[in-house]
Amino acid sequence: MEKILLRNIDVPDSHTLAVYSSRGGYRPWEEVVKNITPERLIEEVKASGLRGRGGAGFPTGMKWSFVPKDSPKPKYMVCNADESEPGTFKDRLLIEKDPHAIIEGTLMAAYAIQSHTAFIYIRGELVFGANILERAVDEATQAGYIGKNILGSGYDVDVIVHRGAGAYICGEETALLSSLEGGRGWPKVKPPFPATHGLFGCPTVVNNVETLAALPWIIEHGAAAYAAIGTEKSKGTKLFSVSGHISKPGVYELEMGYPFMKFLQEDCGGVSNGRKLKGVIPGGGSMPVLRPDELEKVNLDYESVQAAGSLLGSGGVIVMDDATCMVRAAWNLARFFAHESCGQCSPCREGCHWMEKIFHRIEQGEGRKGDLELILNVSGNIMGNTICPFGDAAAMPAAAFIKKYREEFEEHIAQKRCTVRME
Amino acid sequence: MDPIKLTIDGKEVATTKGKNLIEVAAEIGIDIPHYCYHPKLSIAGNCRMCLVEIERMPKLQIACNTPVGEGMSVLTQSPKVLAIRKAVMEFLLVNHPVDCPICDQAGECWLQDYYMQHDLQGSRFQERKEHDRKREVFGPNVVFDGERCIKCTRCVRFFQEITRTNELAVVNRGDHSTIALFPDTVLDNPLSGNVVDICPVGALTDRDFRFKVRVWYLQKTPSICPGCSTGCNVSVETYQNRIARFKPRINEAVNSHWLCDEGRYCFHDLTGGERLNTPMIRQEGGLVPTTWDKALGAVLNGLRGAMPLAGILSGRNTNEEAFLFAKLMKRLSPDCALEVFYQERELSEVQKILMSPDRSPNFRGAREMGVSSNGGFEPLMRKLCESHFSGAYVVGEDLLGMDNDKDWIRQALQKLSFLVVQDIRMTETAQLAHVVLPSTHFGEKEGTYTNRNGRVQKLNVATIAPEGAMQDHEIFIRLLDAAGERVSYSTPAEIFDALANEVPAYRGLTYTAIGEQGIQSGDGQDSHDR
Repeated sequence: MEKILLRNIDVPDSHTLAVYSSRGGYRPWEEVVKNITPERLIEEVKASGLRGRGGAGFPTGMKWSFVPKDSPKPKYMVCNADESEPGTFKDRLLIEKDPHAIIEGTLMAAYAIQSHTAFIYIRGELVFGANILERAVDEATQAGYIGKNILGSGYDVDVIVHRGAGAYICGEETALLSSLEGGRGWPKVKPPFPATHGLFGCPTVVNNVETLAALPWIIEHGAAAYAAIGTEKSKGTKLFSVSGHISKPGVYELEMGYPFMKFLQEDCGGVSNGRKLKGVIPGGGSMPVLRPDELEKVNLDYESVQAAGSLLGSGGVIVMDDATCMVRAAWNLARFFAHESCGQCSPCREGCHWMEKIFHRIEQGEGRKGDLELILNVSGNIMGNTICPFGDAAAMPAAAFIKKYREEFEEHIAQKRCTVRME
Repeated sequence: MDPIKLTIDGKEVATTKGKNLIEVAAEIGIDIPHYCYHPKLSIAGNCRMCLVEIERMPKLQIACNTPVGEGMSVLTQSPKVLAIRKAVMEFLLVNHPVDCPICDQAGECWLQDYYMQHDLQGSRFQERKEHDRKREVFGPNVVFDGERCIKCTRCVRFFQEITRTNELAVVNRGDHSTIALFPDTVLDNPLSGNVVDICPVGALTDRDFRFKVRVWYLQKTPSICPGCSTGCNVSVETYQNRIARFKPRINEAVNSHWLCDEGRYCFHDLTGGERLNTPMIRQEGGLVPTTWDKALGAVLNGLRGAMPLAGILSGRNTNEEAFLFAKLMKRLSPDCALEVFYQERELSEVQKILMSPDRSPNFRGAREMGVSSNGGFEPLMRKLCESHFSGAYVVGEDLLGMDNDKDWIRQALQKLSFLVVQDIRMTETAQLAHVVLPSTHFGEKEGTYTNRNGRVQKLNVATIAPEGAMQDHEIFIRLLDAAGERVSYSTPAEIFDALANEVPAYRGLTYTAIGEQGIQSGDGQDSHDR
């Protein structure tokens, strides 16, 4: 399979403009800014079938088309580089190895919505990546790809790299915008949506790093070429960050629709140390875990993973072998979400910590009869009732762990100890 | 304002576009419970108590952030909605100390009320509760209890959006989220007390009021704040015949939902201290108690023999009292000088949101009743100091309580051949009087004030005047009677209807039409702009 997103990363000095240009970089941008109207660009991306790679999988071209064209306010383009989802490290690779592809994609998205200011909001912990991005922006500015009257086209755009302060919630697009505005990283109540009332109340598009990095290839090879890859509804390729008990962890680029078990066993070399597979979280820590029996028919595309009862999410594949205590794993995730809940709305603020405390108690051998029903009920009370998707992100995995490994939880409660790791 | 129709719980509602579901449901008497939503603040959407079911929408929606739409069908009592209310109540109480027995908010706490209406079940939370700061003093009037706080952010938004002073913010994350002052900040802006009113729980309480009275013992009387001529609508809340606190009453034509701190606590100065309970008359050696008949007789004789005459009325006297006072004084001396006590101070931008520069709530009304010789209060005081007058009748103000020119005024008052002081306390001014008449304060009387914009509003009796004191209007009627002018009215209502016939700006107004929201007189122009 031809690599689209990882096409440059193995080339030495791939992060420099010289190497990126020598491999055809910024030629698609030149084509766009000189010869393609914003309307046609949006149509082209719609035709490619590209969907947001941040987790929700919303069609990118359609997102752009929601931005009002006649708004008297400035418009903003934001690249979401706040990658923080547990088990997800694909954007970091692109940021460090192929920053110019991200910048080129960001420029195209800005052009599509006719924004003259684009931000790359990068997670605070990614200092190395932020430095690389800043250098890349400088290089691209000096080369005339960013700035005023770009390549004689009359189009102006600035690109600003902004470091977050390291909160998971700031990856949620409206929290990201609050943070970028200089406020507390709190999600905003919707409606209104960012397309009309985003950054500083102005029309704004927020796209994930991986989404934007796919754009130069799509323009270079055409929407049809991209749409020819993948399944009927999940087009193109997607990055998967594989971690946990797996022989060959790392970032993989796969055609959408690739068989999950084949990927784990052949591409990733199977479960490490020859142990048996116990479960996989397919889409980052906020997605429901799947048992091996549920994985057999699953392909790596949005629809297939959803049919199996989970979501493709960010493509953060966390593999757990049969020595994993699922109670501890569930508690670990619950602790993460309790720590990262922003505290704005009641169900998430109180519910995440409540669930964490119960999971912790069970893990410590102090579980009580009724604890599991209580967690399921609390997670159900959070689901769908919060300001932002964080509530669902915390509730879904909690419920899934209990539903899918119920005997193990019950054993843990009855024995008042872990029976998995003792074996 | 496009008219639209929707149904809520099967009832069809006709309303206009632009309103949200909480407002429209309230129009037909359906109460959608909520904490963070406040009609005067931006939508926060964080408490999740107002989740309702809307046809064709898969998830429950918060009513506060849902504008009504044509044909919308809303359920506020469906099983899903009732279940989520219980769930939200349970979440809000997870880390709440449930210390109602020692909480000042008990009895007017939205957590208590909604628990009774929507929850009524035990919590399933059996873990250790998170702790937060207790009784942290935010400022002179407001104290914070972090454990009772539900993080609705009403207080934060109030200081961001109404006063724009931004003292408070939410800090920390998750269940450690809490409200805090910015470093080196004190919550001392002139409207700070309002956050106690809008705090739906016991997190922000009033340092002046707390622990004084359980709120269910309070008697609430709708009235008008006597602090200045803005005329904020208040509920005077009393316990055992004492005013315990003021709370603002909503009046969009005057104060909206708010009350300034100066007004909120002004009743202490205006009602405190030892009350006069008998008329007094000057004899050799000083003031001695006397009977009302003797005192009023002495007033009439004394004033008649002390021309030229000056009359100074407090700005806290009602229109009815002012009307009678003017009548009385002009009967005694047609060219007497009459003025309403008036002093101005500079106001800051935040003060100007609600406060007027004066401290005379009925300044405009009293002048309109004829307590005005077109010179103004200051020129009258100057004339007084220049010994222009021989007699004076001072009602409800301690002229020696003024900061400036105290010695001048004392000398001038001492030189008068006859001085009557009508007040509730033995003030410094009263000590110089020849006759002292014990009267009543704003909380003990019925009547009307006219605010600076000409809005006529009603005071009601909140506390009973002490034995021995007499209502101001009654004193004036008895003096008028003794002076030979028999009037046909005696109650404030009757006096108002009589003055409405005589005073042009009040023509057509009736006492009963004033109601609890007031009524507009005259041209509605701000008297402070003239």
